[in-house]
Amino acid sequence: MKTTTLLSTFFLMVFVLTTNAQEFKLGKVSMAELKEKVHPKDSTATAAVLYEKGKTFFEYKQDYGFQLCTEVEVRIKMYKKEGFEYGNKMISYYTGSSYNESVRFANAVTYNLVNGNIEETKLKSEGEFVEKVNENWERKKITMPNLKEGSVIEYKYVIKSPYVSTFPEWNFQATIPINYTEYTTNIPEYYNYKVYKKGYLIPKEVKKQLYQSIVLNTKIAGAMVGQRQPMFSAETIKYTDNQVVYSLENVPAIKLEAYVNSLNNYTTSLQHELSSKKMPNSLPEFFSESWEDVVKVIYESDNFGTELKKESFFEGDIDKLLVGIPTKEERIIAIFDYVKNNIKWDGSEGIYCAKGVKKAYQERVGNVAEINLILTAMLRHAGYDANPVLVSTRSNGIALFPSRAAFNYIIAAVVFENDLMLLDATEKYSMPNVLPFRDLNWLGRLIRKDGTSVAVDLTPKAVSKENTNMNLVLSSDGVVEGKIRRQLDNHEALYFRQKNLLTNKDSYLESLENENNNIEINDYVRDFELNLSKPIMETYSFKSSKAVEIINGKIYISPMLFLATKENPFKQEVREYPIDFGYPTESTYSINLEIPDGYAVESLPKTMNIATGENVGAFKYNIINQGNRIRVSITGSINEVVVPSDFYQSLKDFFQQMIDKENEKIVLVKV
Amino acid sequence: MKIKPLLLIIFISITFTIKAQKSEYATLLISDSLKENANAIVRLSQIDITISSQRSMTIGKKRVITILNEKGLSAIDAVENYNKKTSVKNIEALVFDSFGNEIKKIKRKDFKDQSAVDGSTLFSDSRYVYLDYTPIQYPFTVVYESEIETSNTALIPQWLPLNNYFVGIEKSILNVNYPDNLGFKKKEFNFSGFNIQKTIDTSTKLSYTATNIVSQKLENYSPISIVFPKVMMGLEHFNLEGEDGSVKNWKEYGNWFFEKILLGTTELGEETKAKIKTLVGKETDPISKAKIVYKYMQEKTRYVSVQVGIGGFKPMLAMDVDRLGYGDCKALSNYTRALLSVVDVPSYYTELYGSNDKMDIQSDFFSIQGNHVILCIPNKENYIWLECTSQDDPFGYQGTFTDDRNVLVIKPEGGEIVRTKLYEDSGNTQISSGTYSLSKEGDFSGKITIVSEGSQYNQKAVLENLPPTEREAHYKKYWANISNLKINNIAFSNDKENVRLTEKTEINAVNYGNISGDKMMFALNAYNQYTENVKRIRNRKNPFEIQRGFSDTDEITIVLPQEFTIEFLPSNFDLKSKFGDYKTEFIKKDNGTIIYKRNLFIKKGFYSKTDYDEYRLFIEQVSKNDNAKTILTKKL
Repeated sequence: MKTTTLLSTFFLMVFVLTTNAQEFKLGKVSMAELKEKVHPKDSTATAAVLYEKGKTFFEYKQDYGFQLCTEVEVRIKMYKKEGFEYGNKMISYYTGSSYNESVRFANAVTYNLVNGNIEETKLKSEGEFVEKVNENWERKKITMPNLKEGSVIEYKYVIKSPYVSTFPEWNFQATIPINYTEYTTNIPEYYNYKVYKKGYLIPKEVKKQLYQSIVLNTKIAGAMVGQRQPMFSAETIKYTDNQVVYSLENVPAIKLEAYVNSLNNYTTSLQHELSSKKMPNSLPEFFSESWEDVVKVIYESDNFGTELKKESFFEGDIDKLLVGIPTKEERIIAIFDYVKNNIKWDGSEGIYCAKGVKKAYQERVGNVAEINLILTAMLRHAGYDANPVLVSTRSNGIALFPSRAAFNYIIAAVVFENDLMLLDATEKYSMPNVLPFRDLNWLGRLIRKDGTSVAVDLTPKAVSKENTNMNLVLSSDGVVEGKIRRQLDNHEALYFRQKNLLTNKDSYLESLENENNNIEINDYVRDFELNLSKPIMETYSFKSSKAVEIINGKIYISPMLFLATKENPFKQEVREYPIDFGYPTESTYSINLEIPDGYAVESLPKTMNIATGENVGAFKYNIINQGNRIRVSITGSINEVVVPSDFYQSLKDFFQQMIDKENEKIVLVKV
Repeated sequence: MKIKPLLLIIFISITFTIKAQKSEYATLLISDSLKENANAIVRLSQIDITISSQRSMTIGKKRVITILNEKGLSAIDAVENYNKKTSVKNIEALVFDSFGNEIKKIKRKDFKDQSAVDGSTLFSDSRYVYLDYTPIQYPFTVVYESEIETSNTALIPQWLPLNNYFVGIEKSILNVNYPDNLGFKKKEFNFSGFNIQKTIDTSTKLSYTATNIVSQKLENYSPISIVFPKVMMGLEHFNLEGEDGSVKNWKEYGNWFFEKILLGTTELGEETKAKIKTLVGKETDPISKAKIVYKYMQEKTRYVSVQVGIGGFKPMLAMDVDRLGYGDCKALSNYTRALLSVVDVPSYYTELYGSNDKMDIQSDFFSIQGNHVILCIPNKENYIWLECTSQDDPFGYQGTFTDDRNVLVIKPEGGEIVRTKLYEDSGNTQISSGTYSLSKEGDFSGKITIVSEGSQYNQKAVLENLPPTEREAHYKKYWANISNLKINNIAFSNDKENVRLTEKTEINAVNYGNISGDKMMFALNAYNQYTENVKRIRNRKNPFEIQRGFSDTDEITIVLPQEFTIEFLPSNFDLKSKFGDYKTEFIKKDNGTIIYKRNLFIKKGFYSKTDYDEYRLFIEQVSKNDNAKTILTKKL
């Protein structure tokens, strides 16, 4: 027992000591901070947050009750010019209704060391700007004066918001190191929030209860006429504030890495979701708590559930459309195509209808909610078990906890052959279960007619295939002539169609030639451009004089020619975040090479069959020589979509072995 | 009873608009030659500019655009900028289907209104209104009409009948009306090869009509400023942001600008003056003094762009820059001018068009043409140019944003067109010297020193200040030919005095040598493969230009694994062409060592379209020889 007590005192002492080492109070910039040349823990840092302290509390206003008030003070050290961007700060706030948010900056000062003395330059109004972005949003910006390498800046800002359900998100991490970050929430007993933490770091928490009071002034009705002052009754209400102080020390900078779904998913941060409210003398109001509750609130909203039930405006059109279409699958596709062709997506996301399904249908333009709710309603009208699915797109991040704000998108799901078929009619080249890339983000939430809901895996199960057949004839002068047939299906086809169908053919061929080591392409044909049920297919013939090397009378040729992967996509030495491929893939190549007369095979690459652990990736390379022909067949596949970062090194090695093999050469000699 | 006929006319015209079936907008009427390679067709673009006085100009636009597919959407171009001096009087659009039936009417209130602050600007009071329309079918036709009014008569927009790729043009009209006493003038560019008629050219009116211009494809190395037609216009008596001006030529403009805009902006506090004088001390040479001042300015300030009102033209006061430590190109150049005048070094505010594509200020035609400001210091018969928005550039270095072009130098006695520094092809050097060795497994281990000067300095100097991850990404791209590259050490030395950047790098890589059986094959030129892609272009239409030449020299010592002997060494190669020279040498020093020498020299120049293929083949030879392989055999 003794050891425990001793240990805790020790911890406490350490804590006290570290916090006292620097003063976390505006205006108390130390000489040591100004003199510091590089960040002690990260010598590459261009700037660092020396401390950042925020506090969100509730302020009572007689006119409209409680409002959220967030005060933040920051001290930032500039080490290098490249860090000067942190000398600008911008905050956006909502001004689109009569209850506006507001932002105020204060105490903004730049400190410099001049001849051993601390020089202060205060930010004046000339360095503060208000920008009216559009009818709903304004931005306040400051730019700090007199920044130099070595400067320390400080400022404070206060955000006031009447929207208690939109609690600010606190990020404990940034793209520069943070030496100390602290966030305090003071929440009156009337409000209940669920608190969610995200990221790899765990902030320290200290909880406390504070006793507060507010004075309510009520005008007494029926005050006597002729009375000079209105009569008020003042009532003091006492309540408890629940305080939590979160803090973290020495937070490293977040590093940007390639092939990361969304960096936002990995930033250590804190979010609050309003779950219930109980004001004195009134009944409690419950908001979202579980996924079921969240979905219920969304479903019962006028702009969702009510819109989903509207059918009359399209009934006639759909009944007519379905006449004579026999099978269920064809009928589903017919409705899906009908929506894709007749209602265009205006590009905006959201889970609620904006102008309503009927108007969207008439105007033939709608947001994602309108489009996919209409699709769901039409499928139901046709007698199928169809439901909307709430989705958080890739750019919106992964919905880690129940929250209405977690979703920003809707797709449709219909039961087909005891399985769910997922549909998104915003993308004209998408197919059932082949959703646009933006949708492929972990789990969605399907809402049934009765308001109950269930999680739906959005990760594609079907493999997207790329299939290439190549017939090559090599002549003794090193020129290769060949014919290629290439087929792409599912997501590979979707991506190809999105990228290339509208590109001018000449430009497409020019870049295809250029990307493929300047081959010359002829007889180019593309099939099934708009027949989405078929893989997209290109065939062409080509001539290449650069694919082969003739050295000392020997011919060196890598049978995949220009199709061999040239670079390993994984270049970093270490990886911190999971690798996200989006969907499973398989590439196959079947190559038939005819060698010139008078030549024989001196050596062939060895066959290869490798796989990573847990079958994340697999690669097979087979090669045989029969007379003047060499046949090669190659298959590479990625079977897991999201791979944890500790698997990075083996994945990187796997790619490297595969690339080396693809580039290995056949050696031919004169006989 | 007189009223009635008038009413009737109004009534008729109303019924006509309501009906709105415009068969002339039917997409069937577009000729096939215009549709070829086009994503959109300009059926009509009419710009009516009316200058009613020195302080008032209206610009009316009518554009009828048929959009054939999504990629043509940008051709609608339904956007108008406004600010304190410019207002949007009218803006509306109608949408027609492919048969010419009206399907939507978009009124002013349905246009979006947005502030014009972009990534590089902190604040601006300029805004714009734009059409945000989601097409429901293709093709469709938009009829867009707008009218803006401004007092900025110095800023008559240029007429660019062709300003988009993959757009065919049926008809484009410009009408300009102006009083005969304001000194209206114009200059035409690149009309030849296009069907453009000047229909009216009198003392008060100017009109052009361009018809049937086929869709243009983006071709690399195209000098756009020399290829597409353009008309520049200007007034001798104009108004710029509230200031009247009467200017015939650049000399007079310089005079006016100096007196009306620059005068009184360079005052500084006594404390700053004293500080600068102390810093300069006993130095008497003006250039040495300027170097001290430039360094002081670079350390003190940073680039922040704030554009309010006349801020678009008038620099912030030097005193304010001194206090705040930031400003835009105008403010920082003018601040440096103020500091220099404290120590009696003359310098001139200089307007120019900054871009990596070289663009001239037209020396024989005055109108507002610049987008950037630098500072000019006389140095005997020459000039030294200072980029004041950079905290890193060496004194007098111009890089590729402001080099070799005509600029306007504003002297108190008037403006003067001067050409900025040309970086000679042979001075844009990159000299690589180093070694590498291969192990018997083919693993690579090497050290290299790369020295860059001239315009090549520009591309390399930024590396020093990049975050480590981006810096690593640069090298992995630069040496993409070395797979499995690992960078062990990077050191820079930036000699700003001589404008010379030295990179010293140590790298290694497994499996650089490709082993099959008892052979090892690899490209000797590991460090500098020419990767510029010069693609084959079907039916090239435009001439091509190499804007900046350069010279790369490499000398690399290669140490072979002891277990192997040389079976094959590529032969030396020497190629001369009108575009430049290329030469490689492979010298077998002893059994285990090869010395590789390479020189690639590319000349700047302007070439006809028929030369393009020859250039492509020249570069193909270069990249083929850069990749020439050597073969080693295992010793028995």
